[in-house]
Amino acid sequence: MSSNALRVTDISVEFSGLRALDHVSLFVEPGEILGLIGPNGSGKTTLINATTGQVPLSGGSVEAGDDQLTGLSPREIARLGIARSFQIVRLFNAMTIAENVEASALAQGEGRRQARLAAREMLGEFELLDRADELAGNLNYGDKRRVEIARALVARPRFLLLDEPAAGMNESETEKLLNLLAILPEQRSLGLLIIDHDMPLIMRLCHRVQVLASGKTIASGDVSSVRTNPAVVEAYLGSSVEVHT
Amino acid sequence: MTRHLMTLAVLIGLVVLVVLGAEFAEVRLLSRIATNLCIMLVLVLGLQVFMGNSGILSFAHVGFMGIGAYTSAMLTIPVQMKGMALPDLYPVFAGLQMSPYITILIAGLVAALVAAIVSYPLMRLSDAAAVITSFALLVVLHTVMLHWSEVTNGPRTLFGIPRVTNLYLAAGAAALAIAAALAFKESRLGILLRTTRDDEVAAGALGAHVPNLRWIAFILSALFAGIGGALWGHFITSFSPKAFYLKETFVILGMLVIGGPGTVTGAVFGVLIVTIVFEGLRAIEGLVNQAQLFSEQVVGVTEITLALAMIAVLIFRPGGLVATREVGDLILRRMKLREKK
Repeated sequence: MSSNALRVTDISVEFSGLRALDHVSLFVEPGEILGLIGPNGSGKTTLINATTGQVPLSGGSVEAGDDQLTGLSPREIARLGIARSFQIVRLFNAMTIAENVEASALAQGEGRRQARLAAREMLGEFELLDRADELAGNLNYGDKRRVEIARALVARPRFLLLDEPAAGMNESETEKLLNLLAILPEQRSLGLLIIDHDMPLIMRLCHRVQVLASGKTIASGDVSSVRTNPAVVEAYLGSSVEVHT
Repeated sequence: MTRHLMTLAVLIGLVVLVVLGAEFAEVRLLSRIATNLCIMLVLVLGLQVFMGNSGILSFAHVGFMGIGAYTSAMLTIPVQMKGMALPDLYPVFAGLQMSPYITILIAGLVAALVAAIVSYPLMRLSDAAAVITSFALLVVLHTVMLHWSEVTNGPRTLFGIPRVTNLYLAAGAAALAIAAALAFKESRLGILLRTTRDDEVAAGALGAHVPNLRWIAFILSALFAGIGGALWGHFITSFSPKAFYLKETFVILGMLVIGGPGTVTGAVFGVLIVTIVFEGLRAIEGLVNQAQLFSEQVVGVTEITLALAMIAVLIFRPGGLVATREVGDLILRRMKLREKK
């Protein structure tokens, strides 16, 4: 683990007594794609929320390079170069696609002209340029996802956390997304963390995989070792507690 | 850029049409109605700056209109009348009489300053809590106006305010208000504030400073309200605190909600449509009363109609008549479609 990685160290999150995350650690290197998988309710989204300051930590720390993120507000964390997408797409629906993307650059402190140019360029890469003036609320689900990723990328993040980017996409859309995401880390020297239920996508895309179950890390390592790990197989097949003990 | 210029041209063109129409008709009543319409434009556009871009309903707007009206009145009532009009006035101001053209601007700045101070903590609130506190703020401002007799003459009518607002001054102010509201909406701050309106969580995750953005818009909105209030004061020349309370609040809100708070076009259309319907109904009401069709006087038709129109708009077009796209944008899109065919 290098000193400029995104490091989540030993964090815990509690929701009124319920432990959603229990001493979880994780890191993402710049230029790397980490897949975060696990059954429903295992704490994957909570981990992203905790990293970006949307939910408070009850223990542990988060750092990105030399920056301490623990206890900062989502706004401050965003300004330090951590971008994210949401499990349920959150676009600015009454604004145009161009404005959605532009706003992200503006929020990073860029000027009006610069932001517009950056947005145009990003929309071009995402093949959304000819629809730039459509309202974001009128798009179909797959396109909304792409706009959300474009919006995150235009902020030039050091780390990008994507919460189920392929959810609701059909096969060809997923394929397109996969090609796009695969080159991102190298092209933009950013660290990418992806949560998804689409196992083939995770297996093809990620350099490393970490598996959560009931708020704890049960396995991590390269794709092939995780796939055959008995604890992972068990968590995914949903074997009961009695069998487990 | 073209579409913004187009919007600006169309909206200011409408104001010019109103002015020309009122002038050429040579009916004094029409000129008064047109002047009032232009003042309403300033007030409603001011509310649009905050409400349209932040998505937070604000009831306090008319309170800042009152601050503007009283500020300019206090500074411009002729010295020889001040003893009668404002018997309790602080001695410092007793000998003061400034040009209304300057005090109208001061009125805007005072309203903005008050807004800056009182709203700073409020801008952290969202949704229902924000709406309720803005209503409380209206009540507080109204109560202060009722009781601060040194400045407002208490609940009694304040008179002696010089009449300076004519159709041209009001129309000029309205045109400036249109340009300012559009410029703010398309500015860096405007775009960021609109993201917080559409999704506060996502806006925060991008790095937008939600309370600060709202605060700046609220101050700007109060600046419009203060100037609009002063213009109104110099048009009507005598008023009491009850002019800046619930009835006026609902007229202004009604105009904005019917037109569409999300767009500057909506604000302008709302003022035009509601004013035309209001004046039409008032004329009919007058005729009915003159003809003595009913044994009692007919009153309140305008208010009932406004209420029904608001309900209808909220049911059938929740975003108002012009919800998301400005008129220039709509025209250019239509032209493009036609070209394609």
